[in-house]
Amino acid sequence: MTPVQAILSGGLQGYILVALLLFVIGLATVLLRRTLLMQFMGVELMLNAANLALLAFGRFRGGEVQATAFYLFIIGVAACEAAVGLALVVVLHRLRESTDADRADLLKQ
Amino acid sequence: MKLSASEIQALLPLFFPALAACLLPIAALDRDQKSTKWIRGALFAVALFAVGLSFHYFTGLWAQGFQPSIGHLRMDRLAQFTGIFVMVAAALAILQLWDHLHHEGWVRGESLSLLLFSCVGMVVFASTSHLLLLFLGLELLSIPLYALTATVRTRPQAVEGGLKYFLTGAVAASCFLMGAVLLYGFTGSLDVGVIGAALNRNPEPLALLGAALLLLGFLFKISAVPFHQWTPDAYEAAPHPIAGFMSVATKGAALIALLRVFPGALSMGEPLGAKVRMAVAILAAATLVLGNLSALSQTNVKRMLAYSSISHAGYLLLGLVAGTPNAQAGMLFYLAVYLAMNMGAFGLLTVFGLVGDRTHYDDLRGLGWKRPGVALAASLCMFSLAGIPPTAGFYGKYMIFKELIGTGHVGLALLGVLASLVSVYYYLRVMVVLFMEAPRPGQAREAGEAPAVHAPFAGATLLVCGFLVILAGLIHPRLMNDFALRALDAFR
Repeated sequence: MTPVQAILSGGLQGYILVALLLFVIGLATVLLRRTLLMQFMGVELMLNAANLALLAFGRFRGGEVQATAFYLFIIGVAACEAAVGLALVVVLHRLRESTDADRADLLKQ
Repeated sequence: MKLSASEIQALLPLFFPALAACLLPIAALDRDQKSTKWIRGALFAVALFAVGLSFHYFTGLWAQGFQPSIGHLRMDRLAQFTGIFVMVAAALAILQLWDHLHHEGWVRGESLSLLLFSCVGMVVFASTSHLLLLFLGLELLSIPLYALTATVRTRPQAVEGGLKYFLTGAVAASCFLMGAVLLYGFTGSLDVGVIGAALNRNPEPLALLGAALLLLGFLFKISAVPFHQWTPDAYEAAPHPIAGFMSVATKGAALIALLRVFPGALSMGEPLGAKVRMAVAILAAATLVLGNLSALSQTNVKRMLAYSSISHAGYLLLGLVAGTPNAQAGMLFYLAVYLAMNMGAFGLLTVFGLVGDRTHYDDLRGLGWKRPGVALAASLCMFSLAGIPPTAGFYGKYMIFKELIGTGHVGLALLGVLASLVSVYYYLRVMVVLFMEAPRPGQAREAGEAPAVHAPFAGATLLVCGFLVILAGLIHPRLMNDFALRALDAFR
């Protein structure tokens, strides 16, 4: 049995399924919700879905160090991204008194 | 940990911009930067010095033909090419920023720090084939750019554009990350070369989904259709020099990274490879057509330039479709030329002090006669963007189209020629407005009352860009052989 088949038939199936599901839910949140904060949370969900899958794969491959290192880097990067994103939301709220994405329509032809 | 001499040489060009980027915010805390000109001047000088040092090290490595590496960061010729390219763009952007931020009345040292971080990220992104480093480079180049887009945070438009760029960019980065994780999970390696070989042996559907998601991340940064909608909004919101820098350097770094990762490493077996090439060809054609047609109907020069940058992404992707060494060298040559002409085009708006949303064609009426030299240089850049000989833009397109016809993609080459014919209309319109239309009566009175616009540095960069566009057209065979083709030596 090749490793790939082992992944798909073994105990990892559930993890991958959940990760992909989280990823799709996150993407749907970004695309469908009209509140900037909710969209922002959708992005975080997508990042963490990737994290979950990464850790599951790393565990399956015998606890590889590179997967864990990658995971730590992702957490750090996600924090930086959150800082910039939240700052932008706060500034827009100060200027506008609203975090409704539909009202952000100044930049149009 | 002890670093060897060659490892230090690989790190040095990145070390100085990163160091300056870390130190600048400390100096920028000084409240006097609003009132005291020399503090602002010192901040800009430090940033320019760091960029210059990095440029010096990159050109030094290039001249020696030395290709050091540290870990998975490989400073080979392609990376050195990227470094030189990005640092020149950054230097032009910093000079233009000085004038533009003074016009806006919003001079802050932080923007320089963000710009330098972004430069480091671009070089990292383009000099590795390891997925972890690729992801880090991608985020290091894009997170500062989100903030830079919204630099002038008193303008609601700027913040809005920054947020739009942030949301779409973060989604693209997450997709990139998910793709990387899936590829790692199904092949057990983070190195793109190993992954490519494993994918060739057994193409697993989920792993292929990962490859597609990875590709999406790159295409987003290049702003290829259908991942282009953020481009006009982000460029319109950003300060002009930053918009120019984003259009040139981000696109360049992402394309070079794609060049490194995609054809070399992820080259699929025959049935799949053909499909991938087909998909890229369709995307390139769509980018070309959509970018050009949308640019036609814009009334805002900045949005027009944004759509024009989308259409140029199409030309560059056509080089990827052809895929021969000469076509790839043509892409690199075109990127180098694109640097000069696009920084010049965005510089035009800075030179005349058009701040805020006063960037419509009407705002440019008759301005050409005020500063004819600078306006002429900008016109040369526009000619080059339109691909009119003997400017360098013509030779860039010519090289790519020639290789396309050589590899049997005559239809695509024809589409490219037609698209650049269409583009002549909107580029020439800028010149017509600049030189042949009189300002509106009210506008002339306003201009008389407003203080005169001083933009010495931006004017100088514009003259340099105009000169480079002509020079690169004259010596294009040398530039092609000594610079573009040699950059590709490394990974052949």
